[in-house]
Amino acid sequence: MRGPVFMICLLCGTVVASLIFGQSSLSIATLWEGMTTGTGPGALMINTIRGPRVVTAFGAGAVLGLSGALFQALFRNPLAAPDIMGFTSGAGLAIIIAVAFGINAPMPLVAAIGGLVAAGCVGLITHQKGHVPAPLTLILVGLGVGFFSSALSTFLLTLLAHNEAAEAQRWLTGSLAARDWSHATQVWIIGGVLTAVSLGQMRNLAALELGPDLAAGLGLRVGAARWLLSGTAVLLAATGVAVAGPVPFVALMAGPMGIRMTGAQSLTSKMLSGAGAGALVLMLADLAARAALPGIQLPAGVMTGILGAPYLLWRLSREMKRGEL
Amino acid sequence: MRFAGIVILLIIAVALALAVGARSIPPRIFLEALTHYDQTDPAHVTVAAIRMPRLFAGLIAGAALGVAGTVMQAITRNPLADPGILGVNSGAAFALLLGTTLLGRSDQAMVALLTFPGAAIASIIVFALGGGLRGDVGPVRLTLAGAALNALLLSLVTALVLVRQDSLEVFRFWVAGSLTQATTRPLMEMAMVASVGGLAALAIAPQIEALSLGSALSRGLGTRPGRVQAGALAVVTLTTGAAVAVAGPIAFLGLMVPPLARLIVGHWLRMELIVSAILGATILLFADVLGRVVMAPSEVRAGIMTALLGGPVFLWVARRLRPGAQS
Repeated sequence: MRGPVFMICLLCGTVVASLIFGQSSLSIATLWEGMTTGTGPGALMINTIRGPRVVTAFGAGAVLGLSGALFQALFRNPLAAPDIMGFTSGAGLAIIIAVAFGINAPMPLVAAIGGLVAAGCVGLITHQKGHVPAPLTLILVGLGVGFFSSALSTFLLTLLAHNEAAEAQRWLTGSLAARDWSHATQVWIIGGVLTAVSLGQMRNLAALELGPDLAAGLGLRVGAARWLLSGTAVLLAATGVAVAGPVPFVALMAGPMGIRMTGAQSLTSKMLSGAGAGALVLMLADLAARAALPGIQLPAGVMTGILGAPYLLWRLSREMKRGEL
Repeated sequence: MRFAGIVILLIIAVALALAVGARSIPPRIFLEALTHYDQTDPAHVTVAAIRMPRLFAGLIAGAALGVAGTVMQAITRNPLADPGILGVNSGAAFALLLGTTLLGRSDQAMVALLTFPGAAIASIIVFALGGGLRGDVGPVRLTLAGAALNALLLSLVTALVLVRQDSLEVFRFWVAGSLTQATTRPLMEMAMVASVGGLAALAIAPQIEALSLGSALSRGLGTRPGRVQAGALAVVTLTTGAAVAVAGPIAFLGLMVPPLARLIVGHWLRMELIVSAILGATILLFADVLGRVVMAPSEVRAGIMTALLGGPVFLWVARRLRPGAQS
């Protein structure tokens, strides 16, 4: 029961389930009718309410998952993920800054700048002449950058009016409520381009996985290749944050989960499995968050937090048993 | 001399905490309020009803968190240990929120007692899963365990707030503590609990130091590691629980204070604890005053200010640790 087909089936099933279930459930017949004839409650659901939301969740989860898988491969550490290392918090902070000071710029651009600045900070702080920083140093400093970005975001919330602050707080948790087709197209187009860019760098990633010395021996410019890959991965994460907010732990969980589900061997298929698992996690989290309690729609980030935190703790105890931490 | 220096700093912080605010009060009026209290004079009422409780809350929470951070860093041999980062604050605050929102109890003194089991459970979880009591564990694991616990509780609180349609105020309390609610907090009781914790810390300080020599050597010196660790957890629980009960979760104070204390007194845990308590109170009062000024007329919560100050300290320490090299 493993393999790419298994994952594709799961993804399709989750999409259908996400369209059917919610605060009010549809029957498959209604959904089918809406899809084929374009009329009735099924069509309304697909076209305006759940459709764009599910497609956005799919795209955002996929870019976050791919970003996580890239970082984990690049730093050869399952704990290296953009949400652990503060890049998603940085992207979230940039958006809060834009909202607080009324800067009118496209969200993906703002998020990308925030993510890149956070990554630049981690890079600068850990920079040592002639040394490649150890992954654990990067993770630790990244955590610190994340703490600081969150503190700044909270600080800026003080500037906002009461209802605006409540909205921003909800957004900072990571939510897919009220997404329309513009969000969906945005994350799919930008995400698609960035996915192509990152898959184009798989040869470099494969060389880097052998370790910096061997990679340099193979004629790779290690520093440049690392920066390019990290930059792409940060942009991928920022693309997800721009439409879904800084949802925690999706990027962290997706990589290992995807590989386990598809049994992927080659680097490219590992990356795609990570993207698939990310999409799966975010769609399921969103579904659970909006359908679990009658009358109440929780943000998806609450669910990924409740799922992801125990995963992180489990991962820590495993890494410790293997003596890697 | 350095010791005199930090006492002077504390006095300055106390003076500022009393003087600065929406209504600035000159020292002369303040002394008058103490000697000839006139309850028709609004300035006197401000001093007695608002500034004094707030000052005491700051002193209690700051000193308690300074002690908590010092004990945590000593017992885990991890310079990134802090009640906020490791999720002990969150555990205590979560228990408090559950008490106030779920049980619907509003008598603060009773509810505040919930912070202690909350802090105890959180510290046991984070130390057990993060391997905090095995000093040979790198700092990444413990910090990540704390981050995971914080994230989990944050998600639960977000769900709780949204489910119960509570106001953003509950959330603000959760995200960062402040001294503004001082008048409604059980200050006297918590001052006593925090003092007990502080005295216990002073009592077990030599054993903690012995433990840091390594468990074999410390056993040879007659220390029982299990007992010392349990004692340290009890200290952390008492001090953090008291701090959260008076001020809510205040992060990064316990991180910043111990390295400063070591700069001043060197490696001598008893002295370090005393200096940490003083410095903790001083920094928290400064943070509170800064929060009143920086965006006046609205106030920034003291916990946000300490997080803004503490973030760079965290980065500075983390950068120097080079965890990859040691583990």
